Amino acid sequence: MTAIAPSYPSTPQASAPALVLDGITKTYRSKAGGVDALRGVTYHFPRGSFTAVMGPSGSGKSTLLQCAAGLDQPSTGAVVLGGVNLRGLGEVALTKLRREEMGFVFQAYNLLPSLTVFDNVALPLRLTGKRPNRNDVLGVLEQVGLGDKAKRRPAELSGGQQQRVAIARALITRPSVFFADEPTGALDSNSSRQVLALLREATDRAGQTVVMVTHDPVAAAYAERVLFLSDGLIAGHLDRGTPGQIAAAMSDLER
Amino acid sequence: MFQLSRQTVSRHKALYVGSFVALAFGVFMLGLAATATAATIAYRGPLGAVVKVTTLGGQDTPPQRVSIRTGAEDVSGLQTVLSMVGSICGFITIFVIASTFAFAVASRRRELGLLRLIGATPQQIRRMILGEALVVAVVAALTGAFFAHLATPLLLAKASYSELAPVKLEPASPWLPLSIAMAVGLMVALLGAHAAARRAGRIAPIDALREAALEPPRIGPVRVVFGVLFLVGSIALLALIRPSSGEAAMPLAMFTPMLLVIGLTLIAPIVVPVLGRLWAAPLVAWTHVSGRLARSNIVAAPRRSASLAAPILTISAIAGSMVLSLSFAADSEAASLRDTMIAPIVVPGGSAERVAATPGVAVVDAGLPVQFVRISTDYAELESAEGIDPAVATRTRDLTPSKGDLSRLTGNTVAVSKEMAGFERYRVGSKIPVTFLDKTEVKLTVVAIVPDAFGLNPSFLVPADLARKHAPAAQPERLFVLPAAGVDAAELTGRIDGAVSARAWEAAQADGLRKGNEFGLILLLGPAALYSAIAIANTLLMGSLQRRQEFTTSRLLGATPSQLRRMVLWESALVGATALSQGAAITVTVGALVRYAMTAGLSDVPITIPWGVLLGIGGVCLTLAVGSALAPASYILRVVNRETAVHQGQ
Repeated sequence: MTAIAPSYPSTPQASAPALVLDGITKTYRSKAGGVDALRGVTYHFPRGSFTAVMGPSGSGKSTLLQCAAGLDQPSTGAVVLGGVNLRGLGEVALTKLRREEMGFVFQAYNLLPSLTVFDNVALPLRLTGKRPNRNDVLGVLEQVGLGDKAKRRPAELSGGQQQRVAIARALITRPSVFFADEPTGALDSNSSRQVLALLREATDRAGQTVVMVTHDPVAAAYAERVLFLSDGLIAGHLDRGTPGQIAAAMSDLER
Repeated sequence: MFQLSRQTVSRHKALYVGSFVALAFGVFMLGLAATATAATIAYRGPLGAVVKVTTLGGQDTPPQRVSIRTGAEDVSGLQTVLSMVGSICGFITIFVIASTFAFAVASRRRELGLLRLIGATPQQIRRMILGEALVVAVVAALTGAFFAHLATPLLLAKASYSELAPVKLEPASPWLPLSIAMAVGLMVALLGAHAAARRAGRIAPIDALREAALEPPRIGPVRVVFGVLFLVGSIALLALIRPSSGEAAMPLAMFTPMLLVIGLTLIAPIVVPVLGRLWAAPLVAWTHVSGRLARSNIVAAPRRSASLAAPILTISAIAGSMVLSLSFAADSEAASLRDTMIAPIVVPGGSAERVAATPGVAVVDAGLPVQFVRISTDYAELESAEGIDPAVATRTRDLTPSKGDLSRLTGNTVAVSKEMAGFERYRVGSKIPVTFLDKTEVKLTVVAIVPDAFGLNPSFLVPADLARKHAPAAQPERLFVLPAAGVDAAELTGRIDGAVSARAWEAAQADGLRKGNEFGLILLLGPAALYSAIAIANTLLMGSLQRRQEFTTSRLLGATPSQLRRMVLWESALVGATALSQGAAITVTVGALVRYAMTAGLSDVPITIPWGVLLGIGGVCLTLAVGSALAPASYILRVVNRETAVHQGQ
């Protein structure tokens, strides 16, 4: 395992990273005093990369994801997404950035139960005030293998299918960065494979960037790089690891 | 966004059926009050019974020609009652709608967070909630107005030839009154949804990721300040206005509880957990798990609990305050009657000459009832007065003037009660323009300010000759009799036809007053109580239907259905107790302040607390709350039972 040496690209124009975390810390205040969830994380996520973030529970991986996506404000440090520093953005500007540049996939599928699959996928477009193009929506549904389920409601679908609807909803706005938090946490292995393949495809085909938090070495093996987080710091990384290597690295970390 | 609103409404049926029922019924009541008022306005009585006068006009108000209806076909009593019923219903509606929407937003935290996460701006969320309110409100307002239209003839048939409107009322054109009721309904809904929408806009995207749908318990300092202002303001209002009659106390006892309710609701997130903990203490001590669970559910989500408690708090505070204040008003009126009365014998409806001829009678005070239209700067009003002989009347009743001199009550003069003088700023020497019912206009000079004595003296006393001159047919309604020196009052009472002792007469007067109050209360509070009952059942039903997920989890964790039922029972009882204790606090505050104001200067005022009615209000609220939480919970538990049985069978 090698240590991370933050390497700033010499030609920012050509290979500007999709997402930059610059020394972010996060301290939660509680009655018993402060809890340091992140203690200075610096990392550049290159464009078109698929990065998995792993770590024991309490290592700060969810906090990292939430800060990176602008859902939570880091205590210090900067998050720069597509060249835009998130600090100082107002609620509305942040929302607009989120709906144009970010896609979200979470363990709980987070679909609106009252809307059909089609309407769920079209919702981000409607929120931007655009009239959703029917063919675009159906195309994305086709891409995730649910072309025939457009008129169903989420409750009528299996967990794997719901997760794929969530991915379709994230794909529809063609975001530059995908944030995935345990996307396969509630799925069987077959559904997991389909979901991960879709995320892999997003980076390979469309050059989108994926940041995925997971505890599953099989899922992490779909990423080209796994970041290991421990006690709020990046403890190391592993490139193109097999599930076995990743699992071994994890148990090293937990020892 | 509007399409989304429509779809989410159909999803959250349980939440919105509640708002719909509340608003439809509110518009129904408002609509009825409006159409009935229109009918009273459209009513044209016989022309002869109208006195036309011109108001004086003030600095900004030009003199106006007004017609004052006199005699039996007066419908203003009905109009007053209708406007009060309308405002109570309007208030309860805005409250119930605000709390149902607050509740809806609180229970949809995750869903709204999700919308924020996938790109909805706070403004879009606000518009969505308002859109939902509009969808519900339009349908509800139309439904309510439709039923109000159907029910109008029934109400008018009931109201015709009653004490309040002794004439036949016909329905007037329904368009204007029903449009007003609908517009008010829509406005109330949007106003009620406004606060909820603002709170929804503040939900952060990260809330979509939090498992627990718990709200942050903090409340803003502005809210606390306003809450305290409302509380202090309404208490100051009560302390300053100092009503001195039941008639003046009625509107005060109705509106100040509303202000107090608003104040308490604003600081509910602080008050509810404290009260909830307090009431839960015995439950936690007596039960194993269910009491503890119930306490955490109430305390951990104070806004949700406050929403559930709102209708109970509102009706118990308003109804309690009115019942108690009016009972205290009757107490103080009985005491003031007793203090003012000197004559030991009263002859209701007797002939003055015949009684005066009875041996042993020293003095007969035969006041003549007379009416006139009193003209003020911007209005004119029909007033009751009494023509008295000051030399006689001052011996049978205590008329000691606080200012002026009653012996000057001759010619075009008047003595005014202290309360009336206070209202209108009349002083000794003021001139009051009046028109007697024989159409003669007279300027009466105020010669004295006399104590208030409701039931004994009207607000205006004029010389008997003046009364006789303008109302030649007037007959005394009751005679106050003083026995001659050495004659036993009781013995004399026996010898005069129809005479009763002053004590018995006072008791009968007080009794009549209470009966009249009761009638007014039933009229005012009946519709409001019915409405609140629906609202209480509605809110708790809505709350319970949301909990399927929670029940399923608890069942799988090993909670038995009867444990969960007990938890729901304790929880709804806690909500009820929390609301009722606040309602009781408001009732006591309003009652005590009204009593303090009314009994100033009186001694030995009896205390009549209508325990039966007050406990009845509490009991009905509590029963409704528990029943309407338990019924749907039991139903859900049966469904959940079947499902968990299936799971375990797999």
